[in-house]
Amino acid sequence: MLNDLRFALRSLLKTPAFTAIAVITVALAIGANSAVFTLVNSLLIRPLPYRDASRLVLIWEQFATMGLERIPVSAPEFLDYEKAIRSCEQIAAFDYTAFNVGGEGNPERVSGAAVSPSLFPLLGVDPIAGRTFTLDEQGEGHDDRVVISARFWKRRFNSDPGLIGRTILLNGRAFTVIGVMPATFEFPIPLFGVQGNRFAERVDIWKPIAFTKPELEARGSRSYGMIGRLRDGVSRAEAQGEISTITAEFIRSHPGNYDGGGFGATVYPLRDQIVGGMRTGLGILLGAVAFVLLIACANLATMLLARATAREREVAIRVALGAHTWRLLRQMLCESVVLALTGGAFGVLLSIWALDLLKRVGAQTIPRLSQVTVDIPVLIFTAAVAITTGVFFGLIPALASRKPELTEALKEGGRGSTSGAASNRLRSSLVAAEIALALVLLVSAGLLMKSFARLQEVSPGFNPHGVLTAELSLPSLKYPDNKAIAPFFQEIIRRLAQLPGVQAVACADILPLSGTNSDSSFDIEGKVLVKGQPSPDEEVRSVTPDYFRVLQTPLLKGRLFSNSDTSDAPLVAIINEAFAHKYFPNGDALGKRITFDDPKKNPAWTTIVGIVGNIRHRALDLDPEPEYYLPHAQSAVSSGRSGRNMILVVRSAQDPRTLAAAIRREVQTFDPDLPIARVRTFDDLVSESVAPRKLSVVLLGVFAGIALLLAAVGIYGVISYLVVQRTHEIGVRMALGAQRRDVLTLVINHALKLVGIGTAAGLVLALFATRALGALLYQIGPFDLVTFAEVALALGLMALLASYIPALRATRSDPMIALAHQQ
Amino acid sequence: MNNGNTPLIQLQEVTKVFLTDEVETHALSGIYLDIRDGEYISIAGPSGCGKSTLLSILGLLDTPSGGSYSLKGTEVANLSFPERARIRNREIGFIFQSFNLIGDLTVYENVELPLTYRGMAANDRKQAVTEALERVGMGHRAKHLPSQLSGGQQQRVAVARALAGKPAILLADEPTGNLDSRNGEAVMDLLRELHAAGATICMVTHDARFAQHADRTVHLFDGRVVEDNLVAA
Ligand SMILES: Nc1ncnc2c1ncn2[C@@H]1O[C@H](COP(=O)(O)OP(=O)(O)OP(=O)(O)O)[C@@H](O)[C@H]1O
Ligand SMILES: [Mg+2]
Repeated sequence: MLNDLRFALRSLLKTPAFTAIAVITVALAIGANSAVFTLVNSLLIRPLPYRDASRLVLIWEQFATMGLERIPVSAPEFLDYEKAIRSCEQIAAFDYTAFNVGGEGNPERVSGAAVSPSLFPLLGVDPIAGRTFTLDEQGEGHDDRVVISARFWKRRFNSDPGLIGRTILLNGRAFTVIGVMPATFEFPIPLFGVQGNRFAERVDIWKPIAFTKPELEARGSRSYGMIGRLRDGVSRAEAQGEISTITAEFIRSHPGNYDGGGFGATVYPLRDQIVGGMRTGLGILLGAVAFVLLIACANLATMLLARATAREREVAIRVALGAHTWRLLRQMLCESVVLALTGGAFGVLLSIWALDLLKRVGAQTIPRLSQVTVDIPVLIFTAAVAITTGVFFGLIPALASRKPELTEALKEGGRGSTSGAASNRLRSSLVAAEIALALVLLVSAGLLMKSFARLQEVSPGFNPHGVLTAELSLPSLKYPDNKAIAPFFQEIIRRLAQLPGVQAVACADILPLSGTNSDSSFDIEGKVLVKGQPSPDEEVRSVTPDYFRVLQTPLLKGRLFSNSDTSDAPLVAIINEAFAHKYFPNGDALGKRITFDDPKKNPAWTTIVGIVGNIRHRALDLDPEPEYYLPHAQSAVSSGRSGRNMILVVRSAQDPRTLAAAIRREVQTFDPDLPIARVRTFDDLVSESVAPRKLSVVLLGVFAGIALLLAAVGIYGVISYLVVQRTHEIGVRMALGAQRRDVLTLVINHALKLVGIGTAAGLVLALFATRALGALLYQIGPFDLVTFAEVALALGLMALLASYIPALRATRSDPMIALAHQQ
Repeated sequence: MNNGNTPLIQLQEVTKVFLTDEVETHALSGIYLDIRDGEYISIAGPSGCGKSTLLSILGLLDTPSGGSYSLKGTEVANLSFPERARIRNREIGFIFQSFNLIGDLTVYENVELPLTYRGMAANDRKQAVTEALERVGMGHRAKHLPSQLSGGQQQRVAVARALAGKPAILLADEPTGNLDSRNGEAVMDLLRELHAAGATICMVTHDARFAQHADRTVHLFDGRVVEDNLVAA
């Protein structure tokens, strides 16, 4: 065995070009596979960082007939669930929040969560220092404790163990730090998809939940996520049954709260919630790298076949001298396995490097991407793939040359070029298959790229260029007076507007494409609802007067907000085009009134004063939805929003990033404890919204590129070999008066025939494959003829190029030498 | 055709030097040779004396290192590659020792090949190929592949291929070398028939028996013509 190994190494080193190409081929394919498998393993397979995570479930409510799914629960509902539920050991509520961290050091804004004390035991993760909450540490007045992340502990407090038991200032209020969670702990995980928040940032501070009195009275105000741990032996279906009974009881005992919306709640496995959205994308990538692997294997097999044919005489002599078939087989296999393993090792290195690059590009936007690592299962998988590749594709040529035609091979000259016809056919079919697979990948990548390009051309309904955004939040401890909030923001805006280079400044509580949203129900004056019909419910934003000027969203009718729309002035609203179409199809929206109160009980009316253009809020590839806007100064009055957490939008004539420092300075002179957070350009925000799509486009593009490269190498290899093999024939043809172009055509025709067959097969295959892309395509069909044609053309050109070099070499051959070749 | 004055081929002081690893091999050192239209010449001599080299120069497969070569009164020693290919295709018919039929092509296609390179119309090709195959007695095997034929049959096809284009001269390098004596005789008979019908033939052979078939034998030694005999008819 060792002998075989030594022999294999020696013979591989003797042909460095062959060995290098083979190793690179394998490395590219294994690298791609190991990278994608690492992604799949880390994101889909590897258990979540909680104890016995398969028993964790998220429970979301729904109003099915209103099309509202996966909505959070309200405080009173949570308490009722908590009391009633038997199928779960524990349940916990959680909500996203943010803290202005004060005290020593710069003020900063940090993501946090308010959670039930039961959350930590429920998840089964222990703190690395201190403790987590006790059950009585919750509720107003008992919630002045926090647990922080190891990350935050290290960053802000230099991992000081003395911090436990000390107080820190959050939103101007003192909290005692009681524990630190391990660095790997993460909760909530982004894709939980709690309505209104994508939890785009990792949470660093957990505080106990404290339902306020108004919250405890508002059964319809839903903002809490709910997680549970199923009791041992209880299935999800059983839990669902129980939950359905509980929600049915809600409807019975709280008439008026669940009118006719198809209310209920659904139990989702936690894992599905986290990985569900990535499954399609990763599935496609997995398919793509499988194709790349197949192409590489085909390449390896053709190369080994050519090598085996070239060695036919050597093998024949060995067999004639009495070598055993098994021995020869073992030797050849040894060689291909050595090749595959070497390639595999390089491939793993390649994938580690590629993943590193990926993390740097996409960590912000792909949940859990930062935890992606190459681990033992991945290495085992990769080694298995490499060895299988080596054995299987070493076997084909080994078997093909196992029983050489002794008499033929040993005879000098032979009877013409009939020998090796079978292995030529095999080689040609492999290359045709490679071309077919590459075509499928190229078409897929082409479709995705076109989708992406078209998406980039979509107008979001506003102009994100030249706008800086920053979050600003007024803690209620320092700014207890709700009335003072709007004037405060007005003053900040006034000051910022005077900064040099600033064209317009505004605030909004929610920005388009930022992954957050907020809806509110309302009633339209004069529109009487049928009994049981729910009130209309649409997306609502609270904005300051210059918001639409900053965003450059056009005013279509009526007027924009102004500084005179104060809390004392008549209540006004602006709606978008989609809203107007939906509720006022006759075009008579202006002047109509809506209310957030009970329309029968002398409500406060809000008048529609303007109609603006649509904005794509959820995503560039989703049609704009109805939205309405309230003036920030009035929204506390009309819809009960505090308006404390706002996002500044600043339009600038120059690069908006240059304004960041000046804006920070201006805010600090106003209130030195007030941090501004997440300062970024609107362009960045928009591109982040398409980052996951971009990632799949880039990855698929890279894989398609590798496939093209490998297919080119395959064609080049086969045609080169063909030329060598046909040297003699070409000599004969030249002796008969063939011109150079005759020879060139001869060789290139052969290549084109392969490409033709491969392309035809690939097109058929692509018809099936591209259907899987459906969900990722935007404004392009899976059978886009132009893309198919372009790819086929590109492949044809590539094949032409790849076969041109060996073909040219063939025409340079000297007929004399060619004829001497076999005589 | 035979005007008796200008020879079909005229070699004057043709030399050929091969350079391998800085070793000069003088394969031909000053060859004078005239070949007239309709002649049947055999070239003989010991192994390595330069017979094949001479033949490939005659066939424009190779260029001489020195001297002049005129074919049909035109100097062809230093033509470009495409020019040489064109003349090879039109004026020269090759018959090789190892037949050199193309394995992937049928008998018919093999014979057709040089005509295709000439750009001859399909109809004319068909006629020429059929005629040539009939002439060598292989008309019934047109659709066969070379591997399905015996050596003698293959060589007859090779002869058909050589003469299908009505070349000025047939060059044959040991055409019987790979054949048993019976098949060898058959091919020799075929060449003699062709000669009788007017073909010009230049053949290299070791075999004194076969050399008898020719009307003239040129003896080479060490790259020189040492004897030039007209065989008495
Ligand atoms: N391509 C070449 N490169 C170098 N030397 C060559 C080449 N071809 C022929 N020679 C040399 O030229 C000389 C003449 O060779 P040639 O093949 O013409 O001999 P030949 O008379 O045909 O011999 P044989 O009867 O064995 O076929 C030999 O010494 C040979 O080694
Ligand atoms: Mg010779």
